[in-house]
Amino acid sequence: MSYEPKLVGFLCNWCSYTGADLAGTSRIQYPPNIRIIRVMCSARIDPSFILQSLGKGADGVLICGCHPGDCHYSEGNYKAMRRYPLLKRLLDAYGIEHERVRLEWVSASEGQRFADVVADMTERLRALGPCRVKTALATDQIER
Amino acid sequence: MEDLKIGVYVCNCGTNIAHVIDAESVKNYAATLPGVKIARSYRYMCSNPGQEMIVEDIRSQGLNRVVVAACSPRMHERTFRNACRTAGLNPYLCEMANIREQCSWVHNDSVAATEKAMALTRAAVLRVACQEPLEGLTAEMCPTTLVLGGGIAGLTAALELADGGFPVVIVERADRLGGNLTRVDLTAPHFDSARDLVRERIAHVRGNPNVTVMLRSELRSLSGFVGNFTAEIATNGGKPTKVRVGNVVVATGYKEFDASRVTHFGYGKLPNVITSFDFERMLRAGRIETKDGRLPQYAAIIHCVGSRSEEFHAYCSRVCCMTALKYANEIKSAIPTCYVSDLYIDMHAFGKGCEDFYKRSSEAKTLFLMYGKGDHPVIRRAASTDDCDMLIEVEEKLSGEHIEIPADLVILMVGMEARADAADVAHVVNISQDKSGWFIESHPKLDPVATTTDGVYIAGTCAAPKDIPDTVAQARAAAARILAKIAKGKIEIDGVFAEVNEEQCSGCRMCNELCPYSAIEFDADKKRSHVIPAACKACGACVAACPSAAIKGRHFTDAQIFAQIEGVLL
Repeated sequence: MSYEPKLVGFLCNWCSYTGADLAGTSRIQYPPNIRIIRVMCSARIDPSFILQSLGKGADGVLICGCHPGDCHYSEGNYKAMRRYPLLKRLLDAYGIEHERVRLEWVSASEGQRFADVVADMTERLRALGPCRVKTALATDQIER
Repeated sequence: MEDLKIGVYVCNCGTNIAHVIDAESVKNYAATLPGVKIARSYRYMCSNPGQEMIVEDIRSQGLNRVVVAACSPRMHERTFRNACRTAGLNPYLCEMANIREQCSWVHNDSVAATEKAMALTRAAVLRVACQEPLEGLTAEMCPTTLVLGGGIAGLTAALELADGGFPVVIVERADRLGGNLTRVDLTAPHFDSARDLVRERIAHVRGNPNVTVMLRSELRSLSGFVGNFTAEIATNGGKPTKVRVGNVVVATGYKEFDASRVTHFGYGKLPNVITSFDFERMLRAGRIETKDGRLPQYAAIIHCVGSRSEEFHAYCSRVCCMTALKYANEIKSAIPTCYVSDLYIDMHAFGKGCEDFYKRSSEAKTLFLMYGKGDHPVIRRAASTDDCDMLIEVEEKLSGEHIEIPADLVILMVGMEARADAADVAHVVNISQDKSGWFIESHPKLDPVATTTDGVYIAGTCAAPKDIPDTVAQARAAAARILAKIAKGKIEIDGVFAEVNEEQCSGCRMCNELCPYSAIEFDADKKRSHVIPAACKACGACVAACPSAAIKGRHFTDAQIFAQIEGVLL
């Protein structure tokens, strides 16, 4: 069977989730590879959510929040923004391609942009190939 | 814990979902998931029969969790939560899977979309199993309102609240009430006296036993949450007194742009170049004259000083155009022989009655000259042979000609800008400023006087430049919002907020600073932090940041999100 990347998206309620809904009401098509999980703010996105997703078989994780300056909670997106580089370094340290995790700002009016981001990321994950974390964890369990 | 009895309801949404997604397969699949007691699909789950189906199942089958796979939760979460509540099930035990906006409407491939709908439904089932019943809280609403600023906005808001029978405390930095409007002579476009407007407000405020006025005073700190704030107010720089208030109206106004920052107009150097506020003083004194006491033969008015410029403020100050026309009229009536020229970029006459006023002024022999936005008129001293004090050179846009006009008196229409202490005020009451320093409203169109801090409202020119009618409307709107809350008596607090597990809290206080609403307080005795539920907006920033994992984000717990992750990926 050909490889279909699995993409988990963590979207803030106020901008990005609404933007994704707008893609729907505007009937903008994008690849079905993404599975969206709603959080109230991108600041809620604990790095463990990303690691858990990769560990459970995701090939990539998309984090979306309000554009800088537009956060519903005034500055939660800045917190997400500061965590992201640290997370990328952590991924690198574990030998996981940091391109698998991406932070994008999507406003409530950017349905097209959301669809474009998902399409682009799906293609990049397709090129990267499957993420090995889940299988590595399984092998590790057996060896122990 | 009692056994899970989950009901799953897959909506067809007419054909909106069912034309792409095989809803029957999703339903059959859902029935196989752990804890699912019943799974159904229906044409319209949100319809009355759809909701009744859920209510009936909860009652007859003893369901203790509900999943609705349908449209976006932003659309109908409230509908299905209410259905659960009707049936006696805690509304937070209901979860939605978004298989319309984020699935059937964005994917054409039936097989892939059906598979995705199954995954989303599975995630909702696993998540709902971890969800907990939540109860909102109620808190007392203190009926006293704190009004910051004693200008037309603050006075109006205070009167509205006091006339409603509730106590108001006005805190004013200056030694008198009235604000900027006391510096204005007449208003545009109807030539009503600004002083009369303010005097009337002040007289009513002074005569109303519900209003306490604190002059030469400032708010030092504001702690607590909506309905239950404690304000520390210092008078004459002395020791602050504590006042309990339920709500706050910030009506701190503006300051005028400093014209000496625009060097090419020579303000402060050329004696007969004055600002609009200098001219108001002249009008109030009743004599329009040059520095050496002569009647000006030529008067010129220059618009947009500090406003609509790349260098200073990009925004329009909104009141200057009509004020400039008012000056042209007043000069003409005081000195009928005086030639008045008006140099503008664009004439903004948007208010009620303003376009008529512009038309009348145009017919009153004022010379209108249009200059370019990036350009500016240049003022220089006239030669002794000229019959005027100064000459203004301007590239006139409409004629395309370089024009020189005489002037004995030049009035610079200075714009509005945020007060220098606006940042301090914003910090104390915990609201935000935009890039120009104006306070930010909760929603620019739908919620223009509320802020992101519950119980703190903004009115008038502290939020952006505006005229008197708009300022008064905002002040009354803020008062109305507060009166509605006071009328309710108690405040209802949503069941979704963060909680600190004091056993696990190390007292590091990282969350205290992180919270945009100052909703986390530190108990110095216990050396533990705790969340004030009424102030928490449930963003979850503290939950993700706590190094001890001591904070639980109700309804968005780690366990619930991990279950969802597992569900979408299984």
